[in-house]
Amino acid sequence: MELFTPEFGLVFWMFVAFLGLYFILSKFAWPFIIKSMDERAELIDKGVSYAQEAKQQLDNAKAEADKLLAEARGQQADILRDATKMRNQIIENARGEAAVEAKKVAEAAQLSIEQSRKESEKQLRREVSEIALQIAEKVLRTSISNDKAQQELVEKYLNEVETKN
Amino acid sequence: MNKVITALIAVVVLALMAWGYTDASHHSHDGEAEMPAVKEIIFEHLGDAYGWEVPFSHSKRIPLPVIVRGNDGAWHVFSSSRITGGDTFEGFKLAHGGDYNNKVVEVLSDGSEVRPLDLSVTKNACGIFISALVVCLMVFTLKRWYVRNGLKAPRGGKGMLELIVDFVYGDTIKPIMGAEAPKYAPYLLTVFFFILTMNLLGLIVIFPGGANLTGNISVTFVLALCTFLITNFTGTKHYWKEILWPEVPIALKCPVPLMPLIEVLGIFTKPIALMIRLFANMMSGHMVVIVFMLLIFIFTALFGAFAGGATSILSLILSLFMLVLDTLVSFIQAYVFTILSTMFISMAHVHEEHEA
Repeated sequence: MELFTPEFGLVFWMFVAFLGLYFILSKFAWPFIIKSMDERAELIDKGVSYAQEAKQQLDNAKAEADKLLAEARGQQADILRDATKMRNQIIENARGEAAVEAKKVAEAAQLSIEQSRKESEKQLRREVSEIALQIAEKVLRTSISNDKAQQELVEKYLNEVETKN
Repeated sequence: MNKVITALIAVVVLALMAWGYTDASHHSHDGEAEMPAVKEIIFEHLGDAYGWEVPFSHSKRIPLPVIVRGNDGAWHVFSSSRITGGDTFEGFKLAHGGDYNNKVVEVLSDGSEVRPLDLSVTKNACGIFISALVVCLMVFTLKRWYVRNGLKAPRGGKGMLELIVDFVYGDTIKPIMGAEAPKYAPYLLTVFFFILTMNLLGLIVIFPGGANLTGNISVTFVLALCTFLITNFTGTKHYWKEILWPEVPIALKCPVPLMPLIEVLGIFTKPIALMIRLFANMMSGHMVVIVFMLLIFIFTALFGAFAGGATSILSLILSLFMLVLDTLVSFIQAYVFTILSTMFISMAHVHEEHEA
């Protein structure tokens, strides 16, 4: 059975061809291909883990940003509340101060009115006494001659005084 | 559009394949419904030849160089076309019948025929070179991609190649061999692609293919021998200890070395099983296809033209199915040879600490 006995010539050529193929491929092709494939597999693995990390970081950053935003909102609300409070207080204060000032002004005005009234009273009294003195002087001057005339004179001077005022 | 072209090409190729087989089976019966010489036809197709059939013509052959060393020690190199016609050239001719049927023999002066040392580049040898060239082309195409494109993923045919490389290397060799994988992967990958290419080329009927390479025991013998040599020359001390002094009850190895004998036998049976498995699988695939084709002519000879015509439809369908199956078997057998070689080599690299 020729099919089941190895033929020397064919074994020889097969050996030559196979060893030649093996040495060529193992020297110039396979190590490079294997290295490239391994490198790429590594690259892809790295890429995946990098992407996962990046996503993690992004999620973290988002959470942080949200936190910061919430904080800022809280602070803003606080500030607004404080501001409102302060404004109210300022207004309150201003109102109080204004009231005090107004009271002071009113008091001062009252005081000056009082003073001027006293002044004018004093003036009046002085003038009245002066007039009285003048009248008295005139009365004294006329009483010497005539009673009637004196009376008339007094009347006359009083009128005079009255019209003078 | 692409699909239509692919389908058309497939139909044409399949028709040519069928025609090739039919044409090849046809030659022996020119006359009226003559019983074909089944055995000769089958063995001619499975065996080697000194020329290569021109596609679709059985009589014309592409001449190949015959290289023989005569009885006197001189080398003779001549074209196979000088002897395929039955002529004698420089004392050499093709034997018919006898021990050296269809082989080159030297006719000595006393008329006896002896087989010279024959290093002819036969059809199978030429097929081996073509396969090696195809493998080289494929692998270097893939390499060039990596050289040019760095770490980008290859597309198309190169992507498929890379898929196969990754399947064999990443999913088979690496898990089995672990850290030793890069050292032996070149050998195993070469074996895989060489066997695969030879298997698939063997399925193509016309010229660049058609040689029954992996269905030839010489070819599988060399492949198995390489695995055998690597396994035993790189084997660790522990591997040899397990063979020569295995851990079994002393009675099994001391007076009569029963277990060591079995283990030593195992060294040889493993590669022989590799050799026979690939050879038998591929040869039987080819044989079945040829037998289906021959059935047409057998039935024609037995029951007339009508039965033959009816059988031809069935035969075509069945042989087509077998060819498709053989395509699958081509992959499986190449893979099986590779994975078993991987396991044999890695099993020879056992260390004490792995035992537990």
